[in-house]
Amino acid sequence: MLQDVYHSGFSSWIRQNPGVFPTIETLHVIAITLVFGTIMIVDLRLIGIASHRRSASRLIGELLPITWGAFALAVATGCLLFTANAPAYAANSQFRLKLLVMLAAGLNMAVFHATAYRRIADWDETVPPPAAARIAGVTSLMLWLGVIYAGRWIGFTLDVLF
Amino acid sequence: MSLQIFGHWLYATPASTVLRQTVWVIPTIQAIHIVSVAILFGSALVSNLRLAGILATDETSAAVVRRYLPWMWSALAVLLLSGLLLILAEPDRTLGNAVFWIKMTLLLVAFVMTLIFQKPLLDPRSSATDPGRTASAKSAAWLSLAIWTAVICCGRFIAYT
Repeated sequence: MLQDVYHSGFSSWIRQNPGVFPTIETLHVIAITLVFGTIMIVDLRLIGIASHRRSASRLIGELLPITWGAFALAVATGCLLFTANAPAYAANSQFRLKLLVMLAAGLNMAVFHATAYRRIADWDETVPPPAAARIAGVTSLMLWLGVIYAGRWIGFTLDVLF
Repeated sequence: MSLQIFGHWLYATPASTVLRQTVWVIPTIQAIHIVSVAILFGSALVSNLRLAGILATDETSAAVVRRYLPWMWSALAVLLLSGLLLILAEPDRTLGNAVFWIKMTLLLVAFVMTLIFQKPLLDPRSSATDPGRTASAKSAAWLSLAIWTAVICCGRFIAYT
């Protein structure tokens, strides 16, 4: 199936036009910086470092739409990059690790939303927030740093760069 | 030409050779560089969206800029340092590359715009509510974001030119 993707017209089109891959990559980088840049502001607030506003829930409500929008762009452009050489990416350890760490970041977020976030009214303006929120914030920062590091390594380890 | 000679000299220095030949060094510096771009760009996004009147309008521009400008300066310092190390490791990739110099020029413009439109807000005597100032500040905020975006685009394209 990965070979089918590789031999598809769209995949060949990305490989054969020299400007396409770097352009998608650039959009991917912009999306990543927006995801990490905004998520970091929220994570730091969860850790207890004051943000531009006191209320944690309002900060989250304000920034999360930007994070999700950028994340959607990162996933879309990521899928396009994968399409360019599906077999090579699928076989790449750093790529697999990156997906795993992203899964962990998603789980961490799910746990936060199911626990500390439910009671956010109790600690909305409290600095530092309760331990559960601080742990979620530190974990999120560490995992997203891991995602970026693994992602950067893909560029150095991908088997076939066309 | 002299820049080319400098590049060759730099390439031959022991420091450059060590950076190039230690497998994990360049990916690690690049990752630090990208994380710093995220901090700078995230901060620039929130403060410029506030200056443009889109985000956090219930807080003053000064309060938002006061929160993010120090992070921008710190990120910029790390970017310059990691960037210098990347030049030292691979001088040919950057010094002889037109896209690199376009990036540096745009970076300088974005830096000066931040000095002009954001730094004065840290002064408690600044009158950020002046209507004429607000209109030009709004356009400047969008322009700043566009230039930071262009800097990132150039950064990625250095690898391909």
